[in-house]
Amino acid sequence: MEGDAARSYWEVSTRLEVRPTLGPDGAPIRNPYREVMSIAYGFFSPLEGFMPWNEVESVLRERRLLSGWLFPFPVVFDVSEEELKSSGARPGDDLLLTLRGRPFAVLKVEEVYKLPDRRELADAVFGAPERNGEVVKKRFDEKHPGWLIHRSLKPLAVAGKVTVVNPPRFREPYNRFWTPPAASRKLIEAKGWKVVVAHQTRNVPHIGHEMLMKRAMFVAGGDRPGDAVLVNAIIGAKRLGDYVDEAILEGHEALNTAGYFHHSRHVVTMTLWDMRYGNPLESLLHGVIRQNMGATHHMFGRDHAATGDYYDPYSTQILWTRGLPSYGIDAPPHQVDKGLKIKPVNMGEFAYCPKCGEYTYLGISYGDVKEAPLCGHTPERISGSFLRGVIIEGLRPPKVVMRPEVYDVIVKWWRVYGYPYVTDRYLKLKEETLEAEL
Amino acid sequence: MTYKIGLLIDERRYEAVKNLPFASQLKSMFGGEIKMLEVEVDEETAKKILQAFPAARLDARGYLEDLPVAFKRALFEAVVKTRSTGKEALEEVFKNIEAVKELAKKEKEYVPPP
Repeated sequence: MEGDAARSYWEVSTRLEVRPTLGPDGAPIRNPYREVMSIAYGFFSPLEGFMPWNEVESVLRERRLLSGWLFPFPVVFDVSEEELKSSGARPGDDLLLTLRGRPFAVLKVEEVYKLPDRRELADAVFGAPERNGEVVKKRFDEKHPGWLIHRSLKPLAVAGKVTVVNPPRFREPYNRFWTPPAASRKLIEAKGWKVVVAHQTRNVPHIGHEMLMKRAMFVAGGDRPGDAVLVNAIIGAKRLGDYVDEAILEGHEALNTAGYFHHSRHVVTMTLWDMRYGNPLESLLHGVIRQNMGATHHMFGRDHAATGDYYDPYSTQILWTRGLPSYGIDAPPHQVDKGLKIKPVNMGEFAYCPKCGEYTYLGISYGDVKEAPLCGHTPERISGSFLRGVIIEGLRPPKVVMRPEVYDVIVKWWRVYGYPYVTDRYLKLKEETLEAEL
Repeated sequence: MTYKIGLLIDERRYEAVKNLPFASQLKSMFGGEIKMLEVEVDEETAKKILQAFPAARLDARGYLEDLPVAFKRALFEAVVKTRSTGKEALEEVFKNIEAVKELAKKEKEYVPPP
């Protein structure tokens, strides 16, 4: 529905202006606009809209939608009482969603409900040490961005399917990486790829990441090498000190254009989502997204989609090898009824061994899984803080740590924003402009 | 007690220090691809640095960490100028510490790109 149809909606529908969720310091931590787009374009399929309350309960109880399909998080469209009142929305209405006054989607209102205590809701979403001790090590609090998002939800929620009326027009460089599921699956088919390993990223790649992607592709292939790596960057609300989104996307692209990945085996894409940092639960969402995009396998490393020390560093591997019964997932997601088809490639870490002169596998260790490292020397890990320290001092990272073309991308965006990482100014600018013009 | 500041040495910085007396003391990382120069800091100077830059901290190894880039850049220049990795270099930095502090204040939003 575009053009005239959108304008007629503008005139006849109830409407509601979408506003970002703000953290305690007033900084945006989520924009529901991104969720609308990801739902509407099929990234979260079979989810077609914002969840009614009984579906939220189902997800919290057993991480399943009402249709029975596995799904990790409640996805709710929260509103304040004032917003609901001024919109005039009631069940059965077509609620026109606007951003800065411009219509972009219609939410077919099925239900309006009151959310429970949001602190309790946030605990129920992510877990607690006493209930989910197999992976949760520490009680969640406001320093955890995902917990904070749920704790900061407005008191009411509107459920219903969403339809886009004005497709996003992504700005440079985002437009080059917008490959929604239908387009992604078409691309994979056209390329003839049969074994495609998805790589989750929210970082500019260093060589440790590159080694993980390349080795995962071979592991996924089984009796022959896999075909390709599908890099999918999560684009959304940022935190101070993160790499800027533009550098993340172009940094991965540089691996391709500079030939470190052959262009016929590598593609860089993006998904709009404000990270919840739910480690194993987030990995389940990543499985959903990348399966929808056509990937056959998903690589998971240490501390997948994690922040702080809330979860066991190998929580994601525990989910994908044993399941998480305390969350209602009794077996790995690809081995349960109405689970996922995408298969995990559970990886540990790689580090540079000066004696071997190459990156070597450090193995993996969780529960009763204890792998030995690949070499008998003393490899050197790449720490993110070390690398950031090198970059912020204006030093070129050594070639064994970061490809020069990737570093050049960081410097390119450093010149644009005056800083190599996310600052308060970038956060404000990002929220004002988002990634797309309506 | 003495503390340390680790200065990272890339190829460009290495050219500036390779013929200085302390070049042999550079610590090698990643098979020599990058090096680190340790600057010794006495207790009194460490206190002065921590006072000047409240975000800085001493870690468990006795290294002064989270120092502003402006300070580290000034310290490297002072090391080269004084040909010292000790008190002389730090005294050189403190001659212009107010200017360094001004640059450091802006670092939350701006660091000049290389």
